[in-house]
Amino acid sequence: MEALRAEHLSKHYGAGATLVRALTDVSLRLESGAVCALLGPSGSGKSTLVKALGLVSLPDAGRIWMGGRLVVDGDAALGSLDVLRRRHLGFVFQKANLIPFLSARKNVELACEIGGVEPPRRRTDELLAYLELAHRADAMPTELSGGEQQRVAVARALANRPAILLADEPTAALDRERGRAVMELFARVAHEQGTAVLVVTHDHRTLDLFDLSYEMEDGRLKA
Amino acid sequence: MNLAFEEVRHGVGRFAATTAGIGLLFTVVLAMAGIYNGLVDDATILLRSLHADVWVVQQGTRGPFADTSRLDVSVESRVAAVAGVRRARGLSYQVLQREAGRGNLRFALVGLPWPECRDDAPPLVAGRGLEQAHGELVADASLGLSVGAKVSLAREEFTVVGLTRQLLASSGDAVVLATLADAQLVLADLPADAVRTERERRAERLRATDLGRGQPSLEGLLADPEWRPPALATPPIVAVLVEADDPARIGEIRAALAAWPDVSVFAAAEEERLLLDGVVEKPRRQLALFAAILLVTSSVLIGAIVYARTLDKTHTIAVLKLMGAPRRRIAGMVLQQSWAMGALGYAIAVAVGAQAFPHFPRRVVLDLVTIGAVGAIVLAVSTAASLLGVRYALRVDPGQALEG
Ligand SMILES: Nc1ncnc2c1ncn2[C@@H]1O[C@H](COP(=O)(O)OP(=O)(O)OP(=O)(O)O)[C@@H](O)[C@H]1O
Ligand SMILES: [Mg+2]
Repeated sequence: MEALRAEHLSKHYGAGATLVRALTDVSLRLESGAVCALLGPSGSGKSTLVKALGLVSLPDAGRIWMGGRLVVDGDAALGSLDVLRRRHLGFVFQKANLIPFLSARKNVELACEIGGVEPPRRRTDELLAYLELAHRADAMPTELSGGEQQRVAVARALANRPAILLADEPTAALDRERGRAVMELFARVAHEQGTAVLVVTHDHRTLDLFDLSYEMEDGRLKA
Repeated sequence: MNLAFEEVRHGVGRFAATTAGIGLLFTVVLAMAGIYNGLVDDATILLRSLHADVWVVQQGTRGPFADTSRLDVSVESRVAAVAGVRRARGLSYQVLQREAGRGNLRFALVGLPWPECRDDAPPLVAGRGLEQAHGELVADASLGLSVGAKVSLAREEFTVVGLTRQLLASSGDAVVLATLADAQLVLADLPADAVRTERERRAERLRATDLGRGQPSLEGLLADPEWRPPALATPPIVAVLVEADDPARIGEIRAALAAWPDVSVFAAAEEERLLLDGVVEKPRRQLALFAAILLVTSSVLIGAIVYARTLDKTHTIAVLKLMGAPRRRIAGMVLQQSWAMGALGYAIAVAVGAQAFPHFPRRVVLDLVTIGAVGAIVLAVSTAASLLGVRYALRVDPGQALEG
């Protein structure tokens, strides 16, 4: 099933001499239950694409569908960005970006609350158990290892049962072993939960875990 | 989950420390309000203890305490005859400086109508009210007299039977209460110099007449040490206090008295306001100005702290936005911290004030209305203080969460 479709996305930054064409006519599809890698050299436009798909900074032109509904047409969103993000999307960042004054459990619970999941407590316990974090639930972010933090971040991203999970270099801050463990987690989430997962990565050694990979260069996408 | 609460709880020590300073600012604001209340209380305690519905004073003046007023004693009986008047009582009031015992006593002598003053005495801290028509005084404790002290005025001996606290005239002088008759007696007593001057003037006049020139021995009569110049008239009263049969008739009484050419008439509340306008207006403006400056200062301070805390949270706010948190929730997080700071600061202020204010040199009077009103102002101040932080938080770009 198609979770996300983007067609002919373009985006530029600046103007005149400083004009940067970050995306040029990019089209892609993400399937439910598939985990997909996005590769490419630095500055090739990977983060720009994730931001566009994540409805964080909209493209200049193109269209985006989510769950079969058109949500972005050109540079305009069809609906409130908050609501669309809440309904369709989960994010995992390079750093875990946990909220520093909330325990692991509360970080996840807050996401459940914002995502409108009822009851937030039950879903939180479920997610913590799923990500094997139940024993660390009451730890503050500073008390967690990098890998644990990233797992909490994944739990948080899954709180609202998103159809699409976007991750921008989620393992860059982790060592190879832990990085691979997190990548395995994405594959597991995609296969078990039926989520469409897009992961930006530089690490070619984990490519075996992905169902599909895209490569970017100079703002263009090569399958 | 309340994010403001969670964040404050996480760093409760730091939060309390920054709030303590704000609490002290609010303490001073509260003190200003309390001092103002104290001023009003001090200024009106005498007026209120007299229980008049209507004040009759000299035409064109604002009453005995706010202004100088003189009325002929006859006004008392004329007012008493007006329809609807239950009681009309003359009041005398004069600031005196007399030698008494060890040194000079300066006080405002208030002559109260006898026997009514037996029933409505101002609040006493020691002794009792006036119970005899003659020879008793109730003095303010600030004069340093004690119950049972003897004071000699107008060559009569008076006994202090009761003490008041903070019963001050608008001039700031301590009030001494006596019956109207006693007060008139004291007022009629001229100081020795005045007696001597009057004696000399009479002797001169005598010498200027045929009778005086013909009978020089007449001057000997004036030399009698017991001779006093006769009072030409009963000393005037300063106001007539009117009590109505029925509060509904106050308007009617005022209308009747308004036609009289020699008096001005005020309702009790008006008289109180006239007094306050005169006495309390300036300090009130000063206190209000100080309080306003302090409130602006605390607002700026809270604003700066809340803004700094919001800047620190930029990343968190971006993450929240990316998770789809509604704007209301993000603005609420900042606003509620500001409120928490105001509320905690104010709680500190009330607690510190309760301990500290009784030791202030000026009387600080705090009632629930004042505490509530200042609390409402604090709420408004902390709301205003959060605006910059809220604006910043709402403008945070969710994309920042994706960058390192
Ligand atoms: N806010 C911006 N303003 C101007 N130019 C930008 C902005 N963000 C990105 N760019 C430019 O757009 C191009 C694509 O950037 P992007 O961040 O998408 O690359 P990336 O593939 O994610 O690189 P990296 O692997 O280093 O993260 C780069 O040339 C970058 O300099
Ligand atoms: Mg990038």
